[in-house]
Amino acid sequence: MRATEVLYYMLRPSQLRSIVQWKVWHNPVHERNVNNETETQKACFKFLDLTSRSFSAVIKELHPELLLPVCVFYLVLRGLDTIEDDTSIPLKTKEPMLREFKDYLEQDGWTFDGNRPEEKDRELLVQFHNVITEFKNMKPAYREIVKDITDKMGNGMADYCRKAEFEDASVKTIEEYDLYCYYVAGLVGEGLTRLFVEAEFGNPALLSRPRLHKSMGLFLQKTNIIRDVREDHDDDRHFWPKEIWSKYVTEFEDLFKPENRETALNCGSEMVLNALEHAEECLFYLAGLREQSVFNFCAIPQAMAIATLELCFRNPDMFDRNIKITKGEACQLMMESTQNLHVLCDTFRRYARRIHKKNTPKDPNFLKISIVCGKIEKFIDTIFPQQTAAQAKLKVQGEKSEAEKEKARQEAETRQDLYFMLALMGVIVLIVSIIMLTAAWLLGARFDLAFQELKSGNFRPPAKQIPGEL
Amino acid sequence: MEKVLISGGAGFVGAAPPGPDHTVPDGVEFIKVDVTIQEEARKVIEQARPDVIIHAAGIVHALSERFGRRVEGHVWRTNAAKQSGVKGLYLHQFLLCVEVGIPLDICDVIQGSIVLKGSSDTVAACSLRPSVLYGPGDDRLVPAIHACIAKGKAPFIVGDGQNLWDVTYVTNVADAHVLAAENLMSSRTAAGEVFFTQNNERITFRDFCLAIWAHFGHTPPFEIHIPGTLAYLVGLSCGFLTWVFGTTNILSRGSVRDACSVRYASGERAKLILGYRPQVGIETDSSCPYLLMYLGLCSTYGDRITNAAGM
Repeated sequence: MRATEVLYYMLRPSQLRSIVQWKVWHNPVHERNVNNETETQKACFKFLDLTSRSFSAVIKELHPELLLPVCVFYLVLRGLDTIEDDTSIPLKTKEPMLREFKDYLEQDGWTFDGNRPEEKDRELLVQFHNVITEFKNMKPAYREIVKDITDKMGNGMADYCRKAEFEDASVKTIEEYDLYCYYVAGLVGEGLTRLFVEAEFGNPALLSRPRLHKSMGLFLQKTNIIRDVREDHDDDRHFWPKEIWSKYVTEFEDLFKPENRETALNCGSEMVLNALEHAEECLFYLAGLREQSVFNFCAIPQAMAIATLELCFRNPDMFDRNIKITKGEACQLMMESTQNLHVLCDTFRRYARRIHKKNTPKDPNFLKISIVCGKIEKFIDTIFPQQTAAQAKLKVQGEKSEAEKEKARQEAETRQDLYFMLALMGVIVLIVSIIMLTAAWLLGARFDLAFQELKSGNFRPPAKQIPGEL
Repeated sequence: MEKVLISGGAGFVGAAPPGPDHTVPDGVEFIKVDVTIQEEARKVIEQARPDVIIHAAGIVHALSERFGRRVEGHVWRTNAAKQSGVKGLYLHQFLLCVEVGIPLDICDVIQGSIVLKGSSDTVAACSLRPSVLYGPGDDRLVPAIHACIAKGKAPFIVGDGQNLWDVTYVTNVADAHVLAAENLMSSRTAAGEVFFTQNNERITFRDFCLAIWAHFGHTPPFEIHIPGTLAYLVGLSCGFLTWVFGTTNILSRGSVRDACSVRYASGERAKLILGYRPQVGIETDSSCPYLLMYLGLCSTYGDRITNAAGM
């Protein structure tokens, strides 16, 4: 930990507390049993740790029923991604590989060592037979789902690579932007939802409303695209749709020029606005999950995403460097998103309000952002109403609800107790006074003389006479 | 062709659209009566023999008197309609469609039930409750908000500024009236119902003001929060001083309460039964046309705002 960080947490003890709380007190809903695992399973979890920073922890806490299917699903998609990302593989090798990747899953011992050495996850494909073995051990229903999504995503990636090779693959319209995000993240959402429903951990209605799981993926992906704008630009990758940025600047790189900072911020806020439109559906989706570990698995990334959006919203640093939510905030978010929907909704409301607070009327998207924040709040009010119809009716009729009556009754009781205590103290004071006066009288105090003196107006005892003066 | 009687036809809601230029459109007859006098109201019903009454008349208090009386202007209408209905004056089915003040207001809820109790086999009634109205012809809401710039009131926020409102564009509520009248003439599924009609876009009242100010090129340079209770007490003392000296109230408890309250309702019922979908939102396009619409539809409107602000 660097000195600046130490200073940061000293000034924000609540965040430090969150970190301690999470590290010390968090108990996974399900813990995986390392002793009973086979070699191939161990290898899969090793690759999970190597390939993903954020997902590995949440995947490993999943319900045992879904632990391996989700892990294998993740690794398969990661393998696909490793082929697509590698620019050293020519299109004529890459395209068929991407399209046929789903069939490799059925071929025992299939591995691939054609990746360039600097490719980060090269080792995963070199030892891919472990993943295939575990894939084959899965229930047929799960296998079917993983295979289907791999097929769709492989073909989507292949189309994209073709487009990049022969024509311009940059994202032009918002529709293309949504489609890109769908292939990268929306499909994962679909696959996971089908796994959850198959395992009976999710409401089957989630499948009949594809918009919901699509939104889950798009919300995460769009947040990443917004946050990583600088990093992606430095790597010469551009995901912000032209339809949006061309309203603000003529060339994409103008967004990063210091003199255009205000324009860039407005452009960024339209991107955030575009992402925020999914927030409502994400909460709707999360309401359909029935198992705690699955809820945690889905809710943690969503909470992180809305916090990241809040961080990026009208933050000029986003165009200069890579920004991240602090560790303390992340721990707090993880705690809040591993409880229940109500707590998570409060988190969403908190961040929606923070975004709303940063919103400025100088921004052309001002009202739209205000409306979208209002929509999130309204949706939360719909699932967890602050006021029920029955309460409202009572209020109109001027009657008090049961809770209010109870409260009034308790208040009256407290008041009575207080009066009783006061009276008791008065009685005690009275008794003590009587005892003392009686004692004084018995010892020969002359109250009659004292009264006389008081009557004649002498409220103080006579000054002591000093013998020398006589 | 059904005959429609609109009370308050020259008013903000009754005339929308075409706007507040007070010219009677072709094919429309204008009858001037005082609707608070029961006898005159009955006479006009007998004269017009309408199939539908759209009651859009209401007492509009000055902003400074926003606390207290709001019911009386409406009660007569219910009685008149009831009496007419009882006497069986009309061969046609007599339908009544009522519009009343601001939603979630206690007075209005009580009053709504009075009107709706009059709904029967012969008379079908429903009540529409728009939220705060704005649009062409608005001489209260937007001018008052605009006036805050000149008075230097813009930086002050009463309450936490997080309470959501849902304003209503005036033609949206006019559409809702037409839908309600059509429903009462046909399926009558709306009879006895109360509908909240609004833009279905919740924003904070503060943001609505900020957007209007921004449109006039003003952004508050700083913000000062005033706790709601403090403002209420100030309003109370202002009210007292007003009462003693007979001056206009600058801050009433009513406006403080309004500014700090959540003022939105669910629009689901209106959507389900009436098929009401607001056609105009706060922002219908990527540009910011809500104020341009005022200016476009009513060229004198901009001047009036400027006059109201004393500029």
